[in-house]
This record gives sequence, C-alpha cells and structure tokens, in this order.
Amino acid sequence: MPPVENDNAQIKARLQEFIDSNLVVIFSKSYCPYCKKVKELFKELNVACEAMELDLIENGSSYQDVLMEMTGQKTVPNVFVNKTHVGGCDKTIQAHKDGYLQQLLGAESTAYDYDLIVIGGGSGGLACSKEAAALGKKVMVLDYVVPTPLGTSWGLGGTCVNVGCIPKKLMHQTAMLHTALEDARKFGWEFSEAVNHNWETMKSAVNNYIGSLNWGYRVALRDKNVTYMNSYAEFVEPHKIKATTKRGKEMFHTAAKFVLATGERPRYLGIPGDKEYCITSDDLFYLSYCPGKTLVIGASYVALECGGFLAGLGLDVTIMVRSILLRGFDQDMANRAGDHMETYGIKFIRKFVPIKIEQLEAGTPGRLKVTAKSTETDEIIEGEYNTVLIAVGRDACTGNIGLDKAGVFVNPKNGKIPVNDEEQTNIPHIYAIGDILEGKWELTPVAIQAGRLLARRLFAGSSEKCDYVNVPTTVFTPLEYGSCGLSEEKAIELYGEENLEIFHSLFWPLEYTIPNRDNNRCYAKIICNKLDNERVIGFHYLGPNAGEVTQGFGVAMKCGATKQQLDSTIGIHPTCAEIFTTMEVTKRSGGDIKQTGC
Amino acid sequence: MATRLLVRRIWAVSVKDSRRLPAAAASLSSSSSSRSSSLSTSVHTRSFLSPSRSLLLSSHRCISFNVQDNDDFTERVINSDLPVLVDFHAQWCGPCKILGPRLEKAVAKQKGRVAMAKVDIDDHTDLAIEYGVSAVPTVIAMRGGDIIDKFVGIKDEDQLDSFVNKLIGQ
Ligand SMILES: Cc1cc2nc3c(=O)[nH]c(=O)nc-3n(C[C@H](O)[C@H](O)[C@H](O)COP(=O)(O)OP(=O)(O)OC[C@H]3O[C@@H](n4cnc5c(N)ncnc54)[C@H](O)[C@@H]3O)c2cc1C
Repeated sequence: MPPVENDNAQIKARLQEFIDSNLVVIFSKSYCPYCKKVKELFKELNVACEAMELDLIENGSSYQDVLMEMTGQKTVPNVFVNKTHVGGCDKTIQAHKDGYLQQLLGAESTAYDYDLIVIGGGSGGLACSKEAAALGKKVMVLDYVVPTPLGTSWGLGGTCVNVGCIPKKLMHQTAMLHTALEDARKFGWEFSEAVNHNWETMKSAVNNYIGSLNWGYRVALRDKNVTYMNSYAEFVEPHKIKATTKRGKEMFHTAAKFVLATGERPRYLGIPGDKEYCITSDDLFYLSYCPGKTLVIGASYVALECGGFLAGLGLDVTIMVRSILLRGFDQDMANRAGDHMETYGIKFIRKFVPIKIEQLEAGTPGRLKVTAKSTETDEIIEGEYNTVLIAVGRDACTGNIGLDKAGVFVNPKNGKIPVNDEEQTNIPHIYAIGDILEGKWELTPVAIQAGRLLARRLFAGSSEKCDYVNVPTTVFTPLEYGSCGLSEEKAIELYGEENLEIFHSLFWPLEYTIPNRDNNRCYAKIICNKLDNERVIGFHYLGPNAGEVTQGFGVAMKCGATKQQLDSTIGIHPTCAEIFTTMEVTKRSGGDIKQTGC
Repeated sequence: MATRLLVRRIWAVSVKDSRRLPAAAASLSSSSSSRSSSLSTSVHTRSFLSPSRSLLLSSHRCISFNVQDNDDFTERVINSDLPVLVDFHAQWCGPCKILGPRLEKAVAKQKGRVAMAKVDIDDHTDLAIEYGVSAVPTVIAMRGGDIIDKFVGIKDEDQLDSFVNKLIGQ
C-alpha cells in the first residue's frame, strides 16, 4: 500500500478531474434533503449536473476529507460550477438569487486547446492519435527524438520503424540470404567463389525504406487531421504541456486528456568509456561503416538478434552474457536458440560483465579494448574489438516529462507507469500505452492495439479493452524462436508440474536436408493444461519462419485450442508447422524426439 | 487569369527589376525573334516581357534550383514571373533519381521559358505537407502562384515535354 499522503494526492487529482470535466458538480449524500434541493434548483434551470454520492462510494469519507482540504467546507452538498467552488445549499441558492450562478454558468468555460494530446509519435502514439482524430476529436501528437550520445537521430514513427523491428528484420533477412547463398550451391547453383557483403549498400537501402515510412506517417497525420509537432513535450500542469523544438522554441498546449506513449531508449552500463566509445541498437542501424569484429554486451533479444545478424554478415561476433539468455522467455527454448548461435559461429563469454572500455585507435571502425570481470571469481579478462554494442535493456522515457507536475505515479524502481486495465494512470485524465507500461508486453502490435482501443473507449463509447494474454511474438535469432502464451517455468509456477502435459519434438526442415545443416536443432513444444481439457497454454517453436508459423497458432490459442483439436487438424506437407498436428511424445515420458522420415 | 498574369508581370518588371530594364530591353529583339511567328495575343504579351526573365534567370540564377526555405519558395516559385515546375523529391526515393534529370532536360529544352524548383520533402516537410504531397516524386506546375497542373510518379521524356509545353501554353 502506498502511504496515505499519496492516497490523498490521488483522490485530489480524481476530484479535480471530476470538477474540471463537468459544468456543474455536486458532492452529495443520497439521503440528504439539502442536496436534493440544489439538484432540483439546477433541474429548474435546465442545467445538467453531475453528483457524486459520497455515502455510496468506497472511501467516501476520505473524499470528504480531501474536499475539506480543498474548499474549507466539510458538509454536503458541496457545489462547483464551471470549476469554481460555490458552497453549500444556502450559498448556491443565494448565488442563484444574486445572479452569480448565472454568471458562472454563462462564463466561457475554460476550453482546452485539444481534446487529446498524445506524447510520443511511435507505434502506440500514432495509432491512438489517428484513431481519435478519425472519431472527430481535435488531436495533437508530439514526437521528438533525442539524439544518441554519438549523435544518431531519425524521423517520425518511433522505435519500431526507425531503430527496431523494421531495420532489425531487414538486416536479419540480409543474414538469412547469406545462408541461402551457401545452401544454393548444394542445390546446384554455381557462382563465383567469393561472396562479399557491402554494408553501405544494405545500410542505405534500409535507411531509404525507413525514410519512405517516416514520410508515410507524416502524410497520414495530415490526411487524418492530427496536428503534429516535432517537439519535446513535458507537463507543466496537469492539463498543460510545454513543447520545445530543436531550436529551443517553446510553446504551450492544453488538452482535456493525455496519452503518454514515450517508449524506451537503450540503457548504458555506467562504466568508463561506454557512452564515448560504444554503440547501441539506436546507432547500429545507421552506422556508416561496417562494424567489423564486434562484442555484443547483453543477452536481451536485442543483443541476440543484433549479434545474430552481424555474424550472418560474416563478421566475428562475441556475446558477453552476465547470467541467462532471454530473461522472461522459456529458458529451454532460449538455450536452444543460444546453442544454435554457437554452432553458427558466435562466441559466448558467459558470466562476465564489462568494467571498462578504452579506445586504442579511432576510426571507422576503430579499435577498442574491453576489460571485463567475472561475476563469480576475481578473474579479469581483456579483449580487442572494432565495435562494442551495448544491449543490456531499455529504460522507459518517463523521467524528464514533468510527470511530477501532473501527479502521475511512476514506479521509482524501473521508471515504468502502472495503469489499470483501461490504460489509465493514477491521474484520471492521463493514460499510458506501449513500452512504458509496467508489466506489459513491449511489442509494436501491442502498443498499436492498446492505442486504438483506448481512443475508441475514450471517444466512441466502446468498452473493448486490450487483451494482453496469449500475445504471439518472435525473436529473430539466426534460428528464429516464436512463442505464444506461457513459458514452461511460468506454467509450472501457475499450475504445478503435475497438472501440465508438455509435448515436444525435434524436426528437420526439408529445406535443410540437401545442404545437410542444422540437424536436430529445430524444436517444437506445446504446454497443455490437464485441468482444462489439455488446453494449449504455451506454444514454442524454434525453426525457420517462426513469425509466420506462430501467428496462426496465436489465433488458435485465442480461440482456446486444445491438444485434441491440434491432433485432429490436418497438417500441410511438407512444412515445419505441420509438426504441431502430430506431437505425441511427452516431455515427462523422456521418449525419443528425433524426427524420422515422413 | 491572363489579365492578372499580365498585371503581375508588369508590376514585377517595374518594381522589382527596374534596375535591369535596360538590359531586358536590349535583349528583347534577339529573344523575341527566336520565337517569331504565329503567336496569339496573350503569347505576344509574354514574348514581350519574358526575355527580361530569361536573361535575368540565366545571368543571375540557375534555371533549376534547390528551394532553401519557405521565403525562398515564396520569392522564387510563388512570385516567379516564369512558370515553374516544382519537383518534390526525397533522397530515399529511387524513382525521384530517375525523374529529376529527365525533368531538368525537359526544362533546359525550353531555354528559359520555364524554371524548375527542387524541394527535398525531408528538408522542407511543411512545404510538401502544405502542397498536399503524399507520394514522391510529385511534380506541380505553377504559374503566377497558382497550381495549374500536377503529376505523381515517373514519366518518360516525351510525356514530360508535353507536360512542360502545356504549362508554357504551346
Ligand atoms: C532493436 C529492437 C527491435 C525490436 N523488434 C521488434 C519486433 O521485431 N517486433 C515487435 O513487435 N517489437 C519490436 N521491438 C519493440 C518495439 O519497437 C516497441 O515495442 C514499440 O516501438 C513500442 O511503441 P511505443 O509507442 O511504446 O514507443 P516508441 O515506438 O518507442 O515511440 C515513442 C516515441 O516517443 C518519442 N518521445 C519520447 N519522449 C518524448 C517527449 N517527451 N516528447 C516528444 N516525443 C517523445 C520517442 O522519441 C519515440 O519516437 C523492437 C525494439 C528494439 C529496440
């Protein structure tokens, strides 16, 4: 429980919101005759009033205390007209008699500039602002990219388009083509021995595609009548933000409601040389030169994906891991993906953390010396690399946006914003979506869905909420890993091992047979709940085209697919995904899972 | 329309370019003779005045230029006495790289009767947004500050020639 003071601050914000968003507000008790009397007065005046019955709501007496603090009046009715405190029954009737009430009612209500201001023009923010504008609301979205310590910057659209999903998948594809080229010879394609990759060509092609997407987003905002500002936004008051342009020009804007969608940025290590000499994924996709021999620090999916595609380009890649791979993901699957990366030529340094980065030589790329320390012993190791890529996690951009001025609660431990199941923060008129949410998926389609549904709930009377359960996702490691639902660890924690049946199998994609590679590497696993008809609660796939395979099974799980239904589904032959229609070996049995023939 | 154009032109000559009038007058004979016969009245008007423009442009400004900012656009495109092709392009746009040189060629053929303004939509996003550009390349034909024609995408040389000819009224 947060301390009482905090509770009061929240109540106050809630009351203020209620007062600000209604012309006439009566804090009342359902049985109070004086309250009835003022309600009748407004009825006579034909003015709609909103009453909050303090005897009927939870915490009513705390509300009354806070009202006392705000107005100096403890009794009910407590009347506000056009955000102005009028008083109790007598005062309200008097105000009516001397015309003050009419004056208040007629007074130009302090209209806000916008119905909605969205801070952050990434996946979630753009989706939300466009939807709200399509519903006829006056909407502003602000997006501003703070350059990386090395000066990299990019256009409209947020992480996914500029420094996330899009460039990542395109570079992953570049690496996959390398494998395909090698396979091709085995299938009879003949071409000259030397196969070279040109980083510059790839980088420009990727950046050009991103440029076209940036423009597309800008046009969509114009066409949907969303006001766009390329400015940094921060709260100065609960309903007011300051917007600062790159040139330092400041403007102020007000809105009835706000959506926070500021996303995250890569975390640094806080060791000597990290910001000066290292890059993050934010720089990698715009690097003007091939990074050369690279050390990737971290074992997040960003680390494994970047390390994976760099190795796929033919570079010498080492990944330094503090403890486990892909925290939060199924560890059996994570280790299998990691093992495959080792066979793919990537070196892992486990249980070490870097303590110092020094520059040996500047250049494109230069040479760096990395000193690292064991997490278990006093051992110190040194290594020389052309590039050091830090991918040890990302921090929510919530620290410098004036949330204290708006009263929005932020988890001090991780900078994340807790919200209710309607993406509402502790301050009723301020909402949050996307990567900055506490305990939610950090995925583009999730941010988009949350943003669109939020706009519909706010402005179209919808009640549909974003469903954060059974979200399918894929990690684009060299051997891709797709999953939906629970990890084995989480399933055991929730249901107990005895109540689960886990089916699994290795498989060998037909495409890999002629090149004769990666035998007994691809792996499929489903976790079923025995207490619920063997319903599939965890789906895991390590193999080619994991995203394409997992998407459809995500639909099946949303429909509540059971093991029996998978069994009665006819497979498509010859594919990888068909494995899920013929899974017989349970993990419990310890049976042989090597794949044999058709 | 024609009258308005005429007024604007004369105003431009008398006010903005008064210093250069003698030169304009001097060049009049040679220039107008090059586009001699079969001209309608309105074209006569132009042929009387346009030499000053073409001389001015060829001696002081390149016939095709990169727009620097909004003011520059107002001065050199909206207030231009010559018709102007505005080429909205982007560095990331492959087709733009093909169209750009073709356009320059088509404009060059007109020997100063039409100018070409190049607008990089990432550097001048507001302009592109204001002029309704959705995809690139987008080419807008302007005369006397009015948009009179437009196309999106790529065109071959013949198509460009006829687009330009239409603009200058041939
Ligand atoms: C390397 C990498 C690969 C990824 N791959 C995938 C993938 O394959 N699939 C997938 O689904 N997801 C992927 N993601 C995650 C995905 O990018 C995010 O989940 C998604 O972008 C979150 O959207 P968002 O709206 O919360 O924030 P963002 O997209 O991060 O947008 C936030 C925007 O707000 C701006 N901003 C911040 N503060 C302010 C301010 N004060 N004023 C104005 N603007 C501000 C930021 O500059 C940014 O443009 C990847 C992420 C990374 C880093």
